[in-house]
Amino acid sequence: MEVLLPKLPSFKFPTPSYCRSITTKTSSCVRVGFRRLSSLPVCASTVNEALADPTVDSPSLGHSTRPHFPILHQEVNGSKLVYIDNAATSQKPTAVIKALQNYYEGYNSNVHRGIHFLSAKATDEYESARRKVEAFINASDSREIVFTRNATEAINLVAYSWGLSNLKPGDEIILTVAEHHSAIVPWQLVAQKVGAVLKFVNLNDEEVPNIDQLKELLSRKTKIVVVHHVSNVLASVLPIKDIAHWAHDVGAKILVDACQSVPHMTVDVQDLDVDFLVASSHKMCGPTGIGFLYGKLDLLSSMPPFLDVYLDHSTYAEPPSRFEAGTPAIGEAIGLGAAIDYLSGIGMEAIHEYEVELGTYLYERLLSVPNIHIYGPAPSKEVKRASLCSFNVENLHPTDLATFLDQQHGVAIRSGHHCAQPLHRYLGVNASARASLYFYNTKEDVDNFIHALHDTVSFFNSFK
Amino acid sequence: MLFSIPTTTASTLLTLPSPSSHFSSKLNAAVTPKQIQLKLSVNPPLTASSSSSSSSRGVTDKLNNLASEFASLTEPIDRVKRLLHYASLLPPLDQSDKVHENRVSGCSTEVWMVAHIDEGRKMRFKADSDSEISKGFCWCLVWMFDGAEPEEVLTVERDDLVGMNVGLNNVKARSRINTWHNVFFAMQKATQDLI
Repeated sequence: MEVLLPKLPSFKFPTPSYCRSITTKTSSCVRVGFRRLSSLPVCASTVNEALADPTVDSPSLGHSTRPHFPILHQEVNGSKLVYIDNAATSQKPTAVIKALQNYYEGYNSNVHRGIHFLSAKATDEYESARRKVEAFINASDSREIVFTRNATEAINLVAYSWGLSNLKPGDEIILTVAEHHSAIVPWQLVAQKVGAVLKFVNLNDEEVPNIDQLKELLSRKTKIVVVHHVSNVLASVLPIKDIAHWAHDVGAKILVDACQSVPHMTVDVQDLDVDFLVASSHKMCGPTGIGFLYGKLDLLSSMPPFLDVYLDHSTYAEPPSRFEAGTPAIGEAIGLGAAIDYLSGIGMEAIHEYEVELGTYLYERLLSVPNIHIYGPAPSKEVKRASLCSFNVENLHPTDLATFLDQQHGVAIRSGHHCAQPLHRYLGVNASARASLYFYNTKEDVDNFIHALHDTVSFFNSFK
Repeated sequence: MLFSIPTTTASTLLTLPSPSSHFSSKLNAAVTPKQIQLKLSVNPPLTASSSSSSSSRGVTDKLNNLASEFASLTEPIDRVKRLLHYASLLPPLDQSDKVHENRVSGCSTEVWMVAHIDEGRKMRFKADSDSEISKGFCWCLVWMFDGAEPEEVLTVERDDLVGMNVGLNNVKARSRINTWHNVFFAMQKATQDLI
């Protein structure tokens, strides 16, 4: 089995000019822990123990976690499934599926409302899930975590609740051209209502948002900066801590779309000092139908309710209940809690290290395809890309490419504008193909994908 | 413009739809202001050696022909190849037709479709795409519906096309990625608007 760790001779790491030696920390968890991972039910208390390593060759993170994901072991269209569409949604480990099943089999009941045994247990587990999210992103209080349907709803909550009551005519909202539609549309609508102005940061020559331009756009008129942490197309990572600092200097708030970062790396909201942060469960091994908004407690306390305004109440509940109207997605929240347990068991540092390497390997192997253009910055010692690549091959429509990959090779990638139409317009293309990895992907997945891609390009070229 | 008749199996010998009689760029009297938004084509779309044979072949016949043609191609890759072959036969749309008003909604590829009703009260269609596979779908749909009577276009049910679903885009549901269905719906809607 391949070992995907630096400095080990068994894995030949290609070194083109822009990719100097990548030094990463190796944790004992990665090197030794996973021999046992596949045979034990995962829980945080056991996995991080240092275990004796009987052999030299430890499996990679991808190989050791794959057995936990039943969906990955199937054939599609006569080929083994190669699932590399993780930026769209992630797969779920058995632990999460079991958590949902246990909830519905054992204690499904409405929360916060009943006084019987089942209801008390459901409420406990639901609130325990909230505390897990709090701990996962290092919020200071679990009341700072509002469960929503997904990140899109969370952004809308901020736009309509905080935005409508804080923005005045002439106020400015800064975004980048690379934002996901869900981060743009609510602010367009709110800006229209209140007479605020949207300002967009363009990309620089490395196809990364231009931080210098962002600094120039900031002024006392800026009231909120809305930015992604990791771009779902460019794979670039923004310096959120710095941006938050600059935003606060001019009296502005910052809302971070962390959909592509929370699942893949440690995100510490106190360290970053962000005001709002959103993420979706389904991108981090959790169920669909649940996501969350993190907001500083004083901010959330000052915001009016979003979904429900009771006419017969004169006072609102405290956050987070204020923003969680009606029966929540209880099982799903508990499932998200189980996903957080699973991810914490592996360790976000370990996941990130593995993905930086595998993502770099993906990037470099893609460069072997003739006439390919990969969007975003090139990986280097300073630039750590996310483990995804959006690309185009000349004279081959990404949808034709993706269709053939699926039909003939069972490879699942995405093609389209990835909910980033302004970005694609800026890049001068209508659509791109995107391959995105997660920690359960392996070097073999990348190799199979590249082989299939070469076959696809040859096939379409033969028709020209 | 003249196009060669594509070679296929004997059971599915394809002829191209007959040309309309020459028509000017003046609007048909029956066209309402709303229909003006659809760009009218000045040139006859396709010609063939026989002017009457294909117009008498119903849409249903053509649909069945195509369905059995693709069904006989058991290897999915052969269906792709056939579609790419048809794509190469599709005459490109004028740049001036590739405008927002003619875009078929859906986000995976760009497809433009232009429809008008000719003086013989037959529907005329042109379509194009930036994707080769979509071009192949466009060719099939144009071949089936160009020169048909409006009512024929409108009576085809989405489910009739399922048998035609050529093994790609296995999505049967109506979805923005289902180019095949989206173009078909656009053709039906344009027909509805024109009559």
